Amino acid sequence: MKTARRNQYLWMGALFVFLALVPLFADNNYYITILNQMVINMIVVFGLNFITGLTGQMNLGTAGIYAIGAYTSALLSKNFGLSPWLTMIASVCAGFLLGRGLGYPSLKMKGVYLSLTTLAFSEIVRIFATNLIDITGGTQGLKSIPRFSVGWIALDTNTKYFYFILVVAIAMCLLSIRITDSKWGREFRAVKDNQDAIESLGLDIRRIKIRAFTLAAMYGAFGGALYAHFNGYITSLSFTTDLSINYVIILMVGGIGNILGNMIGSIVVTLLPELLRFLGDYYQITYCILVLASALFLPDGLISLYGKVMGVFNKRSVAEGGE
Amino acid sequence: MDNPEVVLEVLDLVKRFDGLVAVDHLNFKVRRGKIHALIGPNGAGKTTTVNMITGENPQTEGDVLFEGKSISGRPVYARAQMGIGRTFQNIKLFSAMTVTENLMIGGQSKTTQSLLKYLADFRSARKEERHLREKAKEVLNFIGMYQYRDEIVNNLAYGRQKMTELGRTLMGEPKLILLDEPAAGLNPSERKEFIEIIQKVFETGVDMFLIEHNMDVVMNLSHDITVLNFGCKIAEGNPKEILVNEEVISAYLGEGYRRKMAKGAEGNA
Ligand SMILES: Nc1ncnc2c1ncn2[C@@H]1O[C@H](COP(=O)(O)OP(=O)(O)O)[C@@H](O)[C@H]1O
Ligand SMILES: [Mg+2]
Repeated sequence: MKTARRNQYLWMGALFVFLALVPLFADNNYYITILNQMVINMIVVFGLNFITGLTGQMNLGTAGIYAIGAYTSALLSKNFGLSPWLTMIASVCAGFLLGRGLGYPSLKMKGVYLSLTTLAFSEIVRIFATNLIDITGGTQGLKSIPRFSVGWIALDTNTKYFYFILVVAIAMCLLSIRITDSKWGREFRAVKDNQDAIESLGLDIRRIKIRAFTLAAMYGAFGGALYAHFNGYITSLSFTTDLSINYVIILMVGGIGNILGNMIGSIVVTLLPELLRFLGDYYQITYCILVLASALFLPDGLISLYGKVMGVFNKRSVAEGGE
Repeated sequence: MDNPEVVLEVLDLVKRFDGLVAVDHLNFKVRRGKIHALIGPNGAGKTTTVNMITGENPQTEGDVLFEGKSISGRPVYARAQMGIGRTFQNIKLFSAMTVTENLMIGGQSKTTQSLLKYLADFRSARKEERHLREKAKEVLNFIGMYQYRDEIVNNLAYGRQKMTELGRTLMGEPKLILLDEPAAGLNPSERKEFIEIIQKVFETGVDMFLIEHNMDVVMNLSHDITVLNFGCKIAEGNPKEILVNEEVISAYLGEGYRRKMAKGAEGNA
């Protein structure tokens, strides 16, 4: 058990190191843009993992949360000239409040109803963003959202910005590990495992679910803010239901409830459209088939492959030890 | 009002499911320092009664008093925090987790750290976690489950799972434990072990409310017995009185049991 967990930490570290090395070999704006999006996705999915991965509550509202994070930071920094550092904190606070608000309807609902409610929330955010043209710019979008600097280093290139969010992602990953391995993580997993037993143990299931929702919303809003300042431009066209579903796909493909799985899912699913681009018209269908195949044949995600491979290795080494 | 001799009292409890009256104006008192058994045929309303006491399925009418105070209307977790623990007729464990993790969750409502404080100060939270783990170890030793501490619950035999559930309940340091058919599905040696553990827990000062079909278990353990039939109380008293109660015999025990018990009844009570 312990060594399995330590191996996962080593893999996480290795993946981060690998990502950090990519710009050295592929310093091309196209790749760097994908890398940025990949790491932002990772942060969002670390959050989604709390509510959908660990606690088992479906959440199709990620696009709405992400959008609110993006607009909050973009509008405050652009219109009021506040430092993006402050406005990103404001985004996280908005995420906190949203999580509280979204958590409540989730209490009475399960399954399809919960999915639809979170989806409706996300759509409402998008519709507001589309129609409040004076504030959000609607589908035309908001332009020239400022970048910022870390100390004396201005994050004026995508490569610099990438290293900044990579550090952020590592911090968020560590935070996720801390929480997952704590009594709170245990409560999340307990809710997914057997809802009916929780309350008889003196634990308030509503508080647990709201806590998981809130964490997801804080991570998601933060991801949205990082995206806004990366892209410099946001439009309501980006925050569709497709985006919410994409995050659930990342979670599923990587392996639900597993932080290393979240990372692998983000990497694979962000790269996939780029790798499949050569298929032209057939890209969409191929993408869908691959996702479907992953759900059918690897219901526990790519991370379960790792478990199987390690299992084979372990068996072999046990067998060798026995001889 | 508060009677120190009574830990739990139910007053005129009624539970209706649509047309069906599952429990009908039920009254009884669970005395402190006693093991109280609730018996009766399948479908008599025993589990329903437990669910009304814990709040998992609140009553249609009536009142539940715990330590002299009405707890009707309080949420399940609040009643558990007050000291009402339970086990389930159909085991409800966290089956993908280890035995130790299950127990730790059972003790978690007693911990004090908040998430913000934890993030600011890992050390005191880690201390609390270590403390919880130690306590789980102690309880596992107490119930004879220490060797299974790292097993995933799903991989355990049924009897071990039942014991794990009891251990998880003990972690919450309840004053009163409601046991819903703890010995059902156990083989004779497991049943004997379970009786011993229940006795041992009782001796640490925990009151017990026990639903059980196995009359040997009931006669062995309980001081007071309430008998339910079709949601109505048909008898109450000590084991000796229940054994000779005509209504109980015809509704539940059957003639055969009377003859069997006639020989050995002296030794009990
Ligand atoms: N949730 C429920 N909805 C409808 N009827 C129920 C429900 N729970 C129990 N009952 C009915 O109430 C009666 C008592 O059930 P129960 O308390 O489980 O009996 P016991 O535990 O004594 O075997 C049974 O007739 C059962 O079918
Ligand atoms: Mg029952």
